[in-house]
Amino acid sequence: MRDKVPLFVLLTCSVLPAAPKVDFARDVQPMLHAHCAGCHSGEKPQAGLSVLTRAGLLTGGAGGPAIQPGAGSGSLLIRRVSGKSARMPLGQEPLTALQVSLLSRWIDEGAEWDSKSPLAPDNLNTRIKLVRPEVPSSTQPNPIDAFLERDFRRNRIPVPGEADDAVFARRVYFDATGLPPSPQELDSFVKRSEPGKRQLLIDDLLNKRQAYAEHWMTYWNDMLRNEEGVALPGEKREWITRWLFESLKENKPYNRIVQELLAPEGADAPRGFLAGVNWGGDVSASQSPAMQAAQNSAQVFLGANLRCASCHDSFVSRWKLNQTFGLAAFFTTDRLEIARCDVKTGASATPSFLFPELKDAEPPEELAQRRRQVAQMFTSPQNGRFAATLVNRYWKLLFGRGLVEPVDDIEAPSWNADLLSWLSADFVASNYDIQALLRRMMSSRAYQMESVGSNTAAKTGDTFQFRGPLRRRISAEQFSDAVSALTGEWKPLDDLTGKPATYERKWRFRSDPLTRALGRPERIQVVTERSPEATTMQALELVNGEELRTQLRRGAARLNGSFHEAPASAADSGQVRAATVKVQADIRGADRVWLVATDLGSYDRDKVVAGWMDAEFEGLNGLVRVSDLPLAEGFAKGRLQVKDEAAQDALLIRAPSSVVYDIRGKGFTTFRAVVGVDETCMRPDISGKIRFFVFTTEPGNGEFVRLTGTTPVPRPLADSGQSLVRSLFQHAFARQPNPSELGVANDLIAHGPDGIEDLLWILVMSPEFQFIR
Amino acid sequence: MESIQRRIENLSSRRNFLRRSAALTLATLAGERPNAVWGAAEKPVATADAVILLWMGGGMAQTETFDPKRYVPYSPGVKSAEVMSTFPSINTVVDGIKLSQGLETIAGVMDKGMVIRSIVPPDLGRLLHSRHQFHWHTGYEPPQSVAVPHIGSIIARTLGSKNPDVPAFVDIGQKIEGNPDSETLKTFHAAGFLGNEWAPFLIPDPATAAASVVAGTSMDGLRFRRRHQSYRSMMKNSPVLAAGSDYYQESLLRSVETAHRLLESPSAKAFDISLEPKASFDAYNTGRFGQGCLMARRLVEAGVRFVEVTTEYIPFQRWDTHVNGHERLVGLKREIDAPIAQLVLDLAQRGLLKRTLVVVASEFGRDMMIEGRPGRFIQEDSTIRQPERMSEPNHYGMHRHFSGAQSVVFFGGGMKAGIAYGSTAEERPMHVTDKPVSVIDLHATILRAAGIPPDFAYEVDKRPVYVTKDGKGKPVLDLFA
Repeated sequence: MRDKVPLFVLLTCSVLPAAPKVDFARDVQPMLHAHCAGCHSGEKPQAGLSVLTRAGLLTGGAGGPAIQPGAGSGSLLIRRVSGKSARMPLGQEPLTALQVSLLSRWIDEGAEWDSKSPLAPDNLNTRIKLVRPEVPSSTQPNPIDAFLERDFRRNRIPVPGEADDAVFARRVYFDATGLPPSPQELDSFVKRSEPGKRQLLIDDLLNKRQAYAEHWMTYWNDMLRNEEGVALPGEKREWITRWLFESLKENKPYNRIVQELLAPEGADAPRGFLAGVNWGGDVSASQSPAMQAAQNSAQVFLGANLRCASCHDSFVSRWKLNQTFGLAAFFTTDRLEIARCDVKTGASATPSFLFPELKDAEPPEELAQRRRQVAQMFTSPQNGRFAATLVNRYWKLLFGRGLVEPVDDIEAPSWNADLLSWLSADFVASNYDIQALLRRMMSSRAYQMESVGSNTAAKTGDTFQFRGPLRRRISAEQFSDAVSALTGEWKPLDDLTGKPATYERKWRFRSDPLTRALGRPERIQVVTERSPEATTMQALELVNGEELRTQLRRGAARLNGSFHEAPASAADSGQVRAATVKVQADIRGADRVWLVATDLGSYDRDKVVAGWMDAEFEGLNGLVRVSDLPLAEGFAKGRLQVKDEAAQDALLIRAPSSVVYDIRGKGFTTFRAVVGVDETCMRPDISGKIRFFVFTTEPGNGEFVRLTGTTPVPRPLADSGQSLVRSLFQHAFARQPNPSELGVANDLIAHGPDGIEDLLWILVMSPEFQFIR
Repeated sequence: MESIQRRIENLSSRRNFLRRSAALTLATLAGERPNAVWGAAEKPVATADAVILLWMGGGMAQTETFDPKRYVPYSPGVKSAEVMSTFPSINTVVDGIKLSQGLETIAGVMDKGMVIRSIVPPDLGRLLHSRHQFHWHTGYEPPQSVAVPHIGSIIARTLGSKNPDVPAFVDIGQKIEGNPDSETLKTFHAAGFLGNEWAPFLIPDPATAAASVVAGTSMDGLRFRRRHQSYRSMMKNSPVLAAGSDYYQESLLRSVETAHRLLESPSAKAFDISLEPKASFDAYNTGRFGQGCLMARRLVEAGVRFVEVTTEYIPFQRWDTHVNGHERLVGLKREIDAPIAQLVLDLAQRGLLKRTLVVVASEFGRDMMIEGRPGRFIQEDSTIRQPERMSEPNHYGMHRHFSGAQSVVFFGGGMKAGIAYGSTAEERPMHVTDKPVSVIDLHATILRAAGIPPDFAYEVDKRPVYVTKDGKGKPVLDLFA
C-alpha cells in the first residue's frame, strides 16, 4: 500500500517535513484508548497488561512485553492485533491495516510516549473542569470555523463549499422549527440580497418560539422518556409535558432545567423524570426507582453510562458498582442495600457523587436537600461533563455526527476535543443558553457547508474527519409535519370530551403505526438518538399503510380544490363509556335531523350495545318522544342499562350509524336525549367506546368532530396546474423540478386527484424529502 | 459518478444474489448492527429452520390441559381444596400419557410430540401477567435498561430470512391498540435493540391479514404499479440523488424496492387464508386462533422463521380465568384442540415437521387454592375469591395464578416424540417434583434447536447482551431426539 502513494500526496509532500513521524498523541494514544483500554486498564487489567503507560506496555502482561521499541512487526502487540495469534481486540472489529501500520511504525520509531503534542486528544478522561482553549488564529469569525480550519489544514482536506441558499434555508428551517420552508418563504429568502441574510434568518427562526419548542419537544420527550397520557397498568405516571414545553419556549437556562428535573420542588415541578417508568411487582435491585434515576440522569446529563455498573463493576468503562449506588442514594432516603448481580452484599449505599472532587458538603439527611445537593453537583460550572455532554448532543443533531461518539460516553476520544472544550466553556459562559448554542452552531461556516453522505454507517472512534455536515434523516414527527405542511392536511387533536378539536403538530399525538415505523420510540427506556436506518417494516407502512394513504388522499383533494370541510355538528357527546351523557341540540329551522354514532376504538365493536335513551323532540306544540314515532331504519328498539339508568325502549345502534328524521313543518326547536353504552360492554374484551352526534345538515363522510383554530402553518392554496408541481417541488425539496421530473409529474397529475396523490407519495418517499441535505 | 438507475440496478442484481443465498438477506445488509458476539459455547447444529409458538396468553391451567390430576366433579358444597382437575383425563395414542378431556384431537397426535410438565415459571413477586409475559418472551424480567428483544426477533435476526419476500417474524392474533394492557404488550412485541427490521409483523386478525400485505388495498393493482414506475423514474431523474451516494439514503431506496417486491410477490399469498381449500380451512376454523394456526402453516411453508399465534391475551378474559373456570375452559379447549392437531398433521404430511418446532406455552399455571408458589405464597388479589366450599358452578375452576408449575408441549423440530418429561406432585401443592426446567432453559432449548448457543450475544453499548440471561441458559439436551 505504501509503495503506491497517490500523486497529490507526493506533490504536497514537498512542503512538508519528509517522512513525518507517527504522531503518538494524535494517532496512537487514542487508538490504544479506544480499542485496548476497555479491558487493559484499571486496577485489574486483563492478562495483567495495562496500555495506559509506556511502562505498562514494556512490562507487558501474561504473554511478556507487549512492545519492543525499534521492532514493530516483532512486537507481541502487533502480532496480536494483526491476527496472527488470538486476534485483539477480542470479539470486536479488527484494527484497519492503516491502524496496524501506524502502530507498527510508531514502535519502529522507538515507541516515544509524548502526549504533550498540541494535538493531544483531550478525551476528558483525566479532568472534570473545563478549560477554554485558545481559539486558533484565523480569518474565520466563528470560533467553530477557526478550530475546524486547523483540522482541514492538518488533514489536507480542501475547505468544502457553501451550500446554496435554498439548501441552507431548508436545513435551518427543519433544525429550528422542524418544518420545511413554504415556497413563499423560500422564495423571499433566496431573493434577498443583503450579506447578513443567513444570520437574520437564523435569528428569525429561533425567535419563532412556538414552532421551535414544538420541534424540540420530540427530542426532549425521548431523552426524558416523557410520553403524555401513557402509563403501564396500575401505574401513576407523572408527565412533564407542560413544564417541558414552557421551559423550551422560554429558553430556560439548561442548568436550571436540569436542576428542576433532579430536585423538583413545588406543585408544577417536573417530578416525572425522577419517578420514571414503573412496572408493578418485584424489581431487580439494579432497576429500583432510585437506581433508574441514577442511570438515567448520569446517561442523559453527564454522558456516563452506568447501566453495566448497576449490577457489577463495568467491564467497559471505569464506573464501579459502588459509584452507581452512591449516586442512587441521592434519590432516596430509604436504606439502599448494594446488590451485586441481584445478590445483596449487606453494605448500604451512602450518597456520593461520580466526581468526588465536586463535593463541598456532607450529604444531608432530608430527601429534598439531597436532591438539591446532587442537582448542584450535576450542574456545577466546575463540572465540565455537564456542558460538554449537551454540546456534543446538539452538535450531533445539527451536524450528523458527534464531536465524541458515542454521545452517551462523553469520555470517549473526540476528533476535535479543543472544539468541544471551547464550545462547552462558551455554553457555560452564556449561562447555559441553548438558543445561543444553536445560533453559534448554525451561524458557522461549517453548518452552512454542502452536506456529505455517510458511506460507512458505523464509523466510530476518533479517526473521523470533518468534511461538512452529514445528511440527516428527518424524524417521524418532522416527516409527518412536513407532509401536513405540503398538503395542508393536519390531524385534529380531539380530547374526546365533545369540545371542538384543534389542529396540532405530530408530537402532541400518541404514537401510531406510521410514526412507530419511522422510529418513534415507546419511551419506556431513555432514548438519546433514533436510528436513521430504513427497514422493510417501515417501507411497508409507507408504501401500503393506511395512515399515510389517508393523509395523502385528503391532502391531494385539498390541493386540487375538491375537498369539502365537513359541516359542524349541533351536539357532540364526546366519548361515552361507563356513564351516560345528556345531549341537547338546537334544531330550529332544520328540515332534517341526523342522529349519528361512531365507534371510538372499542375492543370488539361487533359486540357493543349502545344507543339513545329518552330521545325527544321539543317544539311549540309540546314534546314528541322518538320511540313513539315509527322506528327508523338503522335503529332497533331494546333494553339499555347503564348503572341505575335503564330504558326498555332505547333506540339501539351499531356504530357507525346514521339515522335521519324528517321534521319539516313540525316546528321542533330542540332535540334531547341521554346516550349510553350498555354496562355489559365494559368488559375488557368488548370495552365499548362510542360517540354520539346530532347534525342539522347532512354530515360529512366519517368526519364529525367540530374543529376550531388554525393550522400550525397556513395551508397551501388549492391549485391543479403546472404551478402545483413547481410549488410542490419547492416545498418538498426546496428546488425546482428539472424537465424530466416535470414530465413524470405532469403525466401523473393528468390522472386528477389520484395522480396528485401519487405524485405526493413519490415526493415524500424520496430520500431528498426524508433527509436534510 | 454512478447514476441512480445504475444503483437501483446494482441493488437488484445484488438482491438476486441474495435471493440465492439462504443465510443473508437485504435486511441483514441494512441491519448489520448491533454486532453479533459469539461466546465460548460450541455452535450447535440446528434441528429446526422455523419455530411456531402457540401462545396461551393469560395463564393456562396446566391441570385442566396437559397435566391432568385427580378429577373431582362439581357438586354444591364440594371442598375447593379437594379439586385438582375439573375435567377427567383421557388417553392419548401414547401409552402412559394422559391429557385433559376436551383435547381429544391433540391426544391423537401426541406420538408426534412431547409434553414437558416441569416448567418452573420465574418468581417475579406478585404474579402479573404483563411481567411474566415480558419475561417469557424476552427471557429477561422487566424493567431492563436496554430494550431486550422478543425471542422471535432474536431467531429471525440471527438466522436471517429464509425467503426475503416475506417478513422473518410474524405475530398473529393479538390486538394491541385498545387492550387494557396495550403498553406492556407493546414492550415485548418488539425487536428492542435489534431494530425495527426484526420486529414482529403484527397480524391482529388473520381473516383480514391479506389486506396489509397485498398491494394497494384501497388502490387497484394497475395504479399501484404505475405509482411504483413513476417513483423509479423520478428517482432516476433526480439531480440530487445522482450527485452522491449515501448509505442511509440507499437503504431507504432499497427498502422501498423490497416492500414493493414483497407486496407483489407470490409469497404474500401465504397471508391470504381464503385461498385455502374449504375442507382444509374448515379443519382449522374454530375462530381466530384456528385461522391463525392455518396461517402459521402457510407462512412456514413460505419461509417465515418465527410465527407466534396467540389465543389473545385480554386481562380477566380468555385463559385468565378468575371465575367460572371450568365452563370457560370447555370453550377454550374446543378452540385450540382441532387446529393445533391439524397444524401438526399438515406439517408432518408436508415433510416440514421435522424441521419446524411447534411450541405450546403460557406465562404461568393456575390452581384453585394457591396464588404464587409453595414457599412464596402471594397475597391473593381481591378479584379472586375462592370459597372453602363451592356453592355455585362458577366457583368451579382454576382461578388463581400458580407459579409452581406449567406445561409446555413441543412438536417436531428435532425433539423427541411420544414422551412426557418431568413431573409434578399429584397432591397440592402441585409443583414440579422432577426435572425442573426454567423459562431461561426452555429458551436455551428452543434457541439450540435453531442452532443458536445460549451465550450468543449482541453488542449493545459496548457490552454483550446475551440471548439467554447472562449467557447462562442451559438447553435441556435430553429433549432432543
